[in-house]
Amino acid sequence: MPTLLESRGLTKKFPGVTALRDVAFALRAGEIHALCGENGAGKSTLIKLLAGIHPHGSYEGELRVDDHPVAFHSIRDAEAAGIAVITQEFALIDELSVGENIFLGRAPRRGLRVDWLTLHRRATALLADFGLALTSETPVRELGIGQKQLVEIVRAMDKKSRVLVLDEPTAALTEQEVAVLVGHLRRLRAQGTACIYISHKLDEVFALADRITVLRDGASITTLTTRDTTIPVVIKHMVGREITDLFPRRATSAHGGAGFTPASSTPDGGDKPRPTTEPILSVRDLTVAPSKNAPPFLRDVSFDLHPGEVLGLGGLMGAGRTELLMHLFGAWGHRVSGDVTLRGAPHVTPTPRDSIARGLVLVTEDRKRYGLVLPQSIGFNLSLSSLLQFRRAPARLDLPAEHVRNQHFFDALRVKAPNQQARVGGLSGGNQQKVVLGKALMTGPTVVMLDEPTRGIDVGAKLEVYELINRLTAEGKAVLLVSSELPELMGMSDRILMLAAGCIGGEFTRDQFAQEKLLAAAMGRAPVTA
Amino acid sequence: MNARLLKNLALPFALLAVCVFFALREPAFLGPRNLTQLIVEFSLTGTLALGMFLILLTGQIDLSVGSGVGLIGGLAAVLVFQQGWPAPLALGTAFAAALVLWLLMGALIVGQRIPSFIITLGGLLIFKGLFWLVIQNSTIPVARGDQDNLYSLLTTYYLPPAAGLALAAAVAAGLALLTYLARSARTAHKLPVAATNRALAQWFATAAALLGAAYLFNQFRGVPLPLLILSATAVTVYFLTQHTPFGRYLYAIGGNEEAAVLSGIAVNRVLIGAYVLMGVAVALTGFMTTAYSGSSTTTVGDLMELDAIAACVIGGTALRGGRGTVWGVIFGALIMTALLNGMTLLAVAPEIKFIARGAVLTLAVWMDVRLGKK
Repeated sequence: MPTLLESRGLTKKFPGVTALRDVAFALRAGEIHALCGENGAGKSTLIKLLAGIHPHGSYEGELRVDDHPVAFHSIRDAEAAGIAVITQEFALIDELSVGENIFLGRAPRRGLRVDWLTLHRRATALLADFGLALTSETPVRELGIGQKQLVEIVRAMDKKSRVLVLDEPTAALTEQEVAVLVGHLRRLRAQGTACIYISHKLDEVFALADRITVLRDGASITTLTTRDTTIPVVIKHMVGREITDLFPRRATSAHGGAGFTPASSTPDGGDKPRPTTEPILSVRDLTVAPSKNAPPFLRDVSFDLHPGEVLGLGGLMGAGRTELLMHLFGAWGHRVSGDVTLRGAPHVTPTPRDSIARGLVLVTEDRKRYGLVLPQSIGFNLSLSSLLQFRRAPARLDLPAEHVRNQHFFDALRVKAPNQQARVGGLSGGNQQKVVLGKALMTGPTVVMLDEPTRGIDVGAKLEVYELINRLTAEGKAVLLVSSELPELMGMSDRILMLAAGCIGGEFTRDQFAQEKLLAAAMGRAPVTA
Repeated sequence: MNARLLKNLALPFALLAVCVFFALREPAFLGPRNLTQLIVEFSLTGTLALGMFLILLTGQIDLSVGSGVGLIGGLAAVLVFQQGWPAPLALGTAFAAALVLWLLMGALIVGQRIPSFIITLGGLLIFKGLFWLVIQNSTIPVARGDQDNLYSLLTTYYLPPAAGLALAAAVAAGLALLTYLARSARTAHKLPVAATNRALAQWFATAAALLGAAYLFNQFRGVPLPLLILSATAVTVYFLTQHTPFGRYLYAIGGNEEAAVLSGIAVNRVLIGAYVLMGVAVALTGFMTTAYSGSSTTTVGDLMELDAIAACVIGGTALRGGRGTVWGVIFGALIMTALLNGMTLLAVAPEIKFIARGAVLTLAVWMDVRLGKK
């Protein structure tokens, strides 16, 4: 079969990060080709290059269609070359009808008027061709996610697309919807349409794809023929990376930084079994829905967190890690059933304010959106959650005392800025992260929940975050750590829970840590016994 | 440093330019009589603007305050003139009504998640209607006969010359004490303090300005009472925004509401609190504005919400929230009042006054948007 779409030596750099390096990828006509890789392996970046979202000139290397070099300057160029990308964020307009959406921007006209009759007649014919039981005049907002996806595919096919790119198409589909989608993709393949298929669900990939290309850390590792390989082999290629000495769990460094509470620092030796203390946070059969009448998103989650422990929480994107933390903190979801006990007392429908008052803090993943008041100073942000500590009768703030406390954290966290009056918005990612951490720690917490605390920060700052985690646990605090980077999770956790689609996919103690097993659990496959 | 100095001097400079312009056209502009009148008008706009400042800081807006000024002032006038209530009781009752109305509006905005723009636009019309119902579309004097009462005295009472000077001296002495206390507290915490000479010079300039102003007012009738009400309001708002957790929360909510919630701030309570304080400012302004016009008539309070918003925005308060200072609002209100007063003094046609007011508001918002982008 001829090669339809090919990339040669594709390298894409963002400031400070190389997202793709020297990627070679070839799509043949009439095949379904899966892209596999961990979060951050470079799949999304590759798609954005193919779709013209990252325009020609912003990357090195070559894209070829039909064995000719092409230069996509926009999504329109890519569409003209027959490449259609269907992502999780649908490019459909909810308030318009199915037919209007299919012909969006290219509606048949009669003079200046839109020719509605022709539009709906042609749309109806297209839908019938696809065997879809949809009316052209139905508003898109009334469709389910699976149907929306199919409408997008219909639109792409009508635009004479030869390459369909599907990014996690089944993440939000029911099993029946998946079966319908798979049926359509097989039929399109038989008609000669090629498809790039991205999914974390390897079962699906093996059922559907002809070939699999594995990406890891921005590089194309290998391309395998599905028939000749197995799931464990693919997982091995996805994770095949050495754990370096980057994660100094328990190797608390003896630098001069001040502690956060005057606690006795007795770091325990890493491999000892946990002392059987009372758990500080205990979650039992927790089932949570996004809102009152929605189906549950987190199901039957149970775990205990002990003082001085780092419990790692892993899982793929969308597995519910952030939602779990946000729910415990009181900022997300409706609790359907289950119990949460914090420091011996039930923790029912809290607000973030209640949680902070009871010693449970959350450092959010999206620090710019949820963590910081960007136009304000470092000091303003550091003390924002702790202002009541500085309140004197009747309502006066003791500003000098606040300044001194801010300075303590500013120094202890080694924030790199001229002084605490500097605007937070002007700091680097790592220093912003330190301010968010400082804000949480100033409240004097006993349980610290960290959601991707090292995302987007440089190696030096990462190391400081790791040392901070060690200091916190040495002081007897408990840490719940969410990370998408398996090596980080394995390096820093005493225990790891893997979440898979809102359920606990597996629990691992330190001696059971192995990337293959963790990833298998994250994909909802029964953990292979060692 | 130079750019920052320029930014800090921009407002005083603009005010100076406005004053010089009008003084050249009409020297009486700077006479004690007109200045006293200007300061009374400034006190009305300024008090309302300080309330609006608290709302704008959170990123919300209140369009109902102009109608509210008329309604609350009118209610008190009706109680005094038609019902024969003693003025303090009438004022107290109208004050309580303002608190209840703004508490309700705040609760509606927060509880039902309806944009403040819409709720207060509804409030603008509803309060206007209630106002006209209350005064029956007539003119209700604030006092019976030629007697003075607390209500009418709000804008007709002037401190005796000696008392005005004494008050200025007392305020200067108080400032000296406060500065000293703040400096010792900072020193005790080993924080840097400004050089002693500089602090002394600063205090000396302030004291001279205070005594000079009292002297100037004494050339006419003395320090007007509304200025004292405005000053008390300004000090309160300054203290609230700079020295209390509540004020920090206003800035935090305006800067990033989601982060404020996740930082453990009771955002809803803070917002309702801001609206209740807006109600206080509306009541004070309503009483002073009605007293200043001598009676409650259907036009009292017209367009005052726009003057208040303009004063805040001219003074550097961001419409998106999270940025602004009390000093800026004071200067903004002064500039706005000087413009209106000067145009009245020059007998500019009302048509042109509307256009000028609109142009200034538009210009201020345009500058706000430009600044917001940077």
